[in-house]
Amino acid sequence: MMPFLRRIWAFIVRDWRLELSYRMQFFLRVLSILIMVTTLFFVSKIFTGFADPRFTQWRDPLAAWLTGLAVLNYFMTGFSSLANAIRQEQVQGTLESVLMTPISVPTIIVASSAWDFVQATFFSFLYLLFGWLFFNVHYQGSFILALLFLVLTTVVLSCLGILSASFAMVFKRGDPFGIFLGAGSALFSGVFFPTQLINQYAGTSIGNISRILPPTYGLDGIRRVLIEGQGFAEVKEPFFMLMIFLVILLPFSLWVFNRAVRRAKREGSLIQY
Amino acid sequence: MVQSNSSAVAVSVNHLSQTYPVPFVRIKKLLRRKFKPPVEALRDVSFEIHAGEIFGLIGPNGAGKTTLIKIIATLIQPTAGRVSVQGSDTVTGDEDVRRNVGLAGAEERSFYWRLTAEQNLLFFARLHGLSNRISRRRTAELFELLELQDVSGRRFAELSTGNKQRLAVARAMLAQPRVLLLDEPTRSLDPIAAARMRSTIKSLAQTNNSTIFLTSHNLLEIEELCDRIAIISKGEIRALDTPQNLRTLHTAEERVTITLTGITTTDAEQALARSFEAGLFLVEQTTQSNEASVKFKRAGNDELLDRVLRILQQSGAVIRSVESERATLLDVLESYDRQ
Repeated sequence: MMPFLRRIWAFIVRDWRLELSYRMQFFLRVLSILIMVTTLFFVSKIFTGFADPRFTQWRDPLAAWLTGLAVLNYFMTGFSSLANAIRQEQVQGTLESVLMTPISVPTIIVASSAWDFVQATFFSFLYLLFGWLFFNVHYQGSFILALLFLVLTTVVLSCLGILSASFAMVFKRGDPFGIFLGAGSALFSGVFFPTQLINQYAGTSIGNISRILPPTYGLDGIRRVLIEGQGFAEVKEPFFMLMIFLVILLPFSLWVFNRAVRRAKREGSLIQY
Repeated sequence: MVQSNSSAVAVSVNHLSQTYPVPFVRIKKLLRRKFKPPVEALRDVSFEIHAGEIFGLIGPNGAGKTTLIKIIATLIQPTAGRVSVQGSDTVTGDEDVRRNVGLAGAEERSFYWRLTAEQNLLFFARLHGLSNRISRRRTAELFELLELQDVSGRRFAELSTGNKQRLAVARAMLAQPRVLLLDEPTRSLDPIAAARMRSTIKSLAQTNNSTIFLTSHNLLEIEELCDRIAIISKGEIRALDTPQNLRTLHTAEERVTITLTGITTTDAEQALARSFEAGLFLVEQTTQSNEASVKFKRAGNDELLDRVLRILQQSGAVIRSVESERATLLDVLESYDRQ
């Protein structure tokens, strides 16, 4: 266990140091989150008292948006961090040097994303913190249950991230998973509006797209817990849906990633990009 | 070809072939797109490297040197054949192989340019599973050994090309691997630094019993350092032997130049013509007005030189110098490349 943790720590320290060499970026990102939360606060005031009573999670749109954005930020990290890390190592030419060390594929997967998760935790927390601190947004329910949903959804999305990284390893550019999930999640997963509205306005066939996206279940579960204060018995459905995604995607994505590494090694294209 | 002897085998390469496939060939065929044929980088390569040996690989650009070194380092999977390092297969036991192998490649882009030299080495030391304390100690030792102490706090981007090269060698040595793969280790070093690097390489093999696999375009360096040399050309090992034997095998002849004074070129020609058949010798005036040179070829250890010297001295010549020149590694390399 110690060498595994040591290696993950090595990646975190490396990325922290690289981040420190671009100090300005960090402060600008904090500022942009504050501006975004403030903007959403004023937009939410347009809808005060107009929320459709069917959508209980959306009575306070600001709370729903902030939860959506915080969670989406985390989900997207789970989804994109490994592919970005692999691609960055390819562009820098350091991928071979990392793969020359006695490091296993699962360690690379976890370690490459570790710093991104540290960052995402911080920035996601900022959305919720700024909402609570400056705009009187209140959360209720079990934070542990919400955290469980967050972790589970992130792991499921990380599996898709592993598939995306496999794609980057072999094809170098062009990532169908990124397009599908990146654009799809914001539109179909209920980040900015209830997914039921898609059924209502675009028909069931298009509305069903949201049902095949893991973030839909993650967001729904977290909002039910944090905004509506529901317990585990009431959020079993999205929880089990996420478990099904996990059971299918985890072994499949690891298998594909191993194959991708092997293929790149056969072609001698590890550092090509 | 010289193959294994009594000492333990550190690296074993058996019938290794590598053909780089055409990417997405089926799709290209389906779409009737034109594509270049697959590139055959290595063809049926076999040899063994013994523990503690310094083994050199020379060949022209594109001969397959880097492919071979990357296969040993587990970075490329061979199309056919097998490579084992300290008994572990590079495909099925790749993690074990990487524990035993350190690679200093010719690729400059393999470090994090915004991190310092020390931060880079510490990162890779931890990836090797070394504890924080050991990582720091080992990094300090290597900085001292490779004379990098003064630049340890500088960003990699700010290092000179020579220091970048030395840092690559330091990284390869971090986990004290049993086998060191050095791809042109003195490239970009000034002559003094290159000499120090050669001495470091020698001492590693002698004191640590490290096995060193070395590629270089500097043939003198290869000759000075290596116990055995393989010549690779167009993906095939053309010859493998000690530097001395390679030269001898290539051509047993040696070119001899005798410089003399005391007699004219005509006197020298006539004296030699009385004892030897015509056309064996080239007698010329040198740039010095009273000096002549006699040039001829002879087999390695025959008595021709002794006889020629005696005849010339008997004719009144004073011998100023005798130079003999055997085939250089460059001659050997060029001859195999021409084949």
